Amino acid sequence: MRRTVTLRSLDAEHRVETSDGRLVVDGVETEPPRRAYAIADGDQRWVFLDGEVHVFEVARQGRKRARSYQGTLTAPMPATVLRINTPAGTVVKRGDTLLVLEAMKMELPIRADADGTVTVVNCRIGDLVQPGVSLIELS
Amino acid sequence: MTLRRVLVANRGEIAIRIFRACREASIETVAVYSDADVDAAHVAAADRAVRIGPPPARESYLNVDAILAAARDTAADAIHPGYGFLSENPQFARACEAAGLIFIGPAAETIEAMGSKIAARTAMETAGVPVVPGATPADQSDDGVLAAARSIGFPALVKASAGGGGKGMRLLSDASSALEEIRAARREAASAFGDGTLYIERYVERPRHVEIQVFGDSHGNVVHLFERECSIQRRHQKVIEESPSTAISPAVRQRMGEAAVTAASATRYRGAGTIEFLLEGSGEDARFYFLEMNTRLQVEHPVTEAVAGVDLVRAQLSVASGERLPWTQDSLSQRGHALECRVYAEDPAAGFLPQAGRLLLYREPAGPGIRIDAGVIEGANVPVMYDPLLAKLTVSHESRAAAIDRAIAALRTFPVLGIRTNIPFLIRVLDHPGFRSGRIHTGFIDEHLDALTKPPAVTHEALAAAATATTASAPTPGETSRSDVQDQYRAKDPWTALDGWGR
Repeated sequence: MRRTVTLRSLDAEHRVETSDGRLVVDGVETEPPRRAYAIADGDQRWVFLDGEVHVFEVARQGRKRARSYQGTLTAPMPATVLRINTPAGTVVKRGDTLLVLEAMKMELPIRADADGTVTVVNCRIGDLVQPGVSLIELS
Repeated sequence: MTLRRVLVANRGEIAIRIFRACREASIETVAVYSDADVDAAHVAAADRAVRIGPPPARESYLNVDAILAAARDTAADAIHPGYGFLSENPQFARACEAAGLIFIGPAAETIEAMGSKIAARTAMETAGVPVVPGATPADQSDDGVLAAARSIGFPALVKASAGGGGKGMRLLSDASSALEEIRAARREAASAFGDGTLYIERYVERPRHVEIQVFGDSHGNVVHLFERECSIQRRHQKVIEESPSTAISPAVRQRMGEAAVTAASATRYRGAGTIEFLLEGSGEDARFYFLEMNTRLQVEHPVTEAVAGVDLVRAQLSVASGERLPWTQDSLSQRGHALECRVYAEDPAAGFLPQAGRLLLYREPAGPGIRIDAGVIEGANVPVMYDPLLAKLTVSHESRAAAIDRAIAALRTFPVLGIRTNIPFLIRVLDHPGFRSGRIHTGFIDEHLDALTKPPAVTHEALAAAATATTASAPTPGETSRSDVQDQYRAKDPWTALDGWGR
């Protein structure tokens, strides 16, 4: 059986074809590694190979790459909201600290990625926030 | 008195380490846990376990009343605090004693004296131990601390007076940014230790961090167990520790050891402790300054256990029950070389951002001279609210070069998938020519940051492995199926379905 999967790395797309135990990666027949660990988690593929870790995303037909919504600032990891420096309406400059999260005993500042005005603050002090969820929006 | 049942007021790898020593000494064990740790490895590792509160540390692992109640309810006769949390809190040590419990550590007065950097420094100066030039702001307002920084000059370090482990420590490079750093240091100090008092000292450029393990008993005996070199650190959080240090000669080692024993004897020290020194220069010319004393077991204690052939936790239990030290200074020797690598849940390529989530795959290396102290197992969820330390790899070998090779080989067979860890980063540090040469200092990681943290090249082999990956999504209760290949794993325990790929 012939199967093709498209894998996205940070900056490129790669095609891997499998048929009858043969592997063709980006057009090159590749000997599978003798000792690697690979795990699928949803559309993510995690690989541990000789001390390096690779994470790929499986490209699905008809689905665009998830893109971060411009002007929305999200938590990089699950964290607690420690402080909110800029309520709605505040005019901010690129690099200003808008709010500060705390995770694993460390402070994580969320900074403005552009000049603008804070339109909405979607969290309150003490909230436990999840990665990818919009915390604050700029216009 | 003989200890019968010990409660460990901690979590993760250190709780498990202490339970092991207790089992060997035929002492029963009690774990405590927060709601975030119901399924944690340390809970399963104890004879019994008591819930002490909700996930935030302030309401659980720092909750003195809840911990004492757990000790009372389980009829424990001693409490081991581990490191971090309440380990250097004199009120806690006192509360244990008041409740009729043995606190496995030094006397509350010793913790108090050494816990305050200000008092510790004075005590060391009195004992004749060299100290780093510094200033003691009596005026603890932000402006008062800033004025103190000005008077000793920039760059300066501001630290949590109650601290340890780098929490609440900041570098003040110039006057303009100092106020913001002072405020941040105070907030971190208050949040980590419940005490925002700050301390300022001169910043020694390109120093090494070399510490001496000391151990005392309640009969007035104090010994040292040689040094640990801890210069490979990032933001004052240690990453790789080793013994012996490449920077000190036998004569300097002896002087440092003697200074440490003098310092510990001056406080009538009981139990395991560490005297941290800043080292300037190397070889016969190296100069050392007292930095601080940690009145607890250190994270990196396995390094000393490896080169000295001792069990520091077992010795803590003996000393706490009133016995004499199991060693004399002359019976102790340093043999071979040991290296500890701290495996953190963090992403070096993203500014070392802490990671939380499920360990979809976690396989520890094993073999001669390889020791793993882990707080997690495969399938575990790494919670967001605690320290990101997952495990410690400690290797020992005949020489430093061989120990480095062994550590690298072990890390290359230490797959952790599902969340990012610093394993690839550790390998790069160990394999760096600068590290191999032994010419390291506390700024080593920052100096070589780009080379140490750049993402790996995408290889055809990695893509081939990824294309044939099997799913790790465990059909846990209450969770809906989220993978289109999950039906392959409907059978049996999902973790047994995982295996090395492509044999």
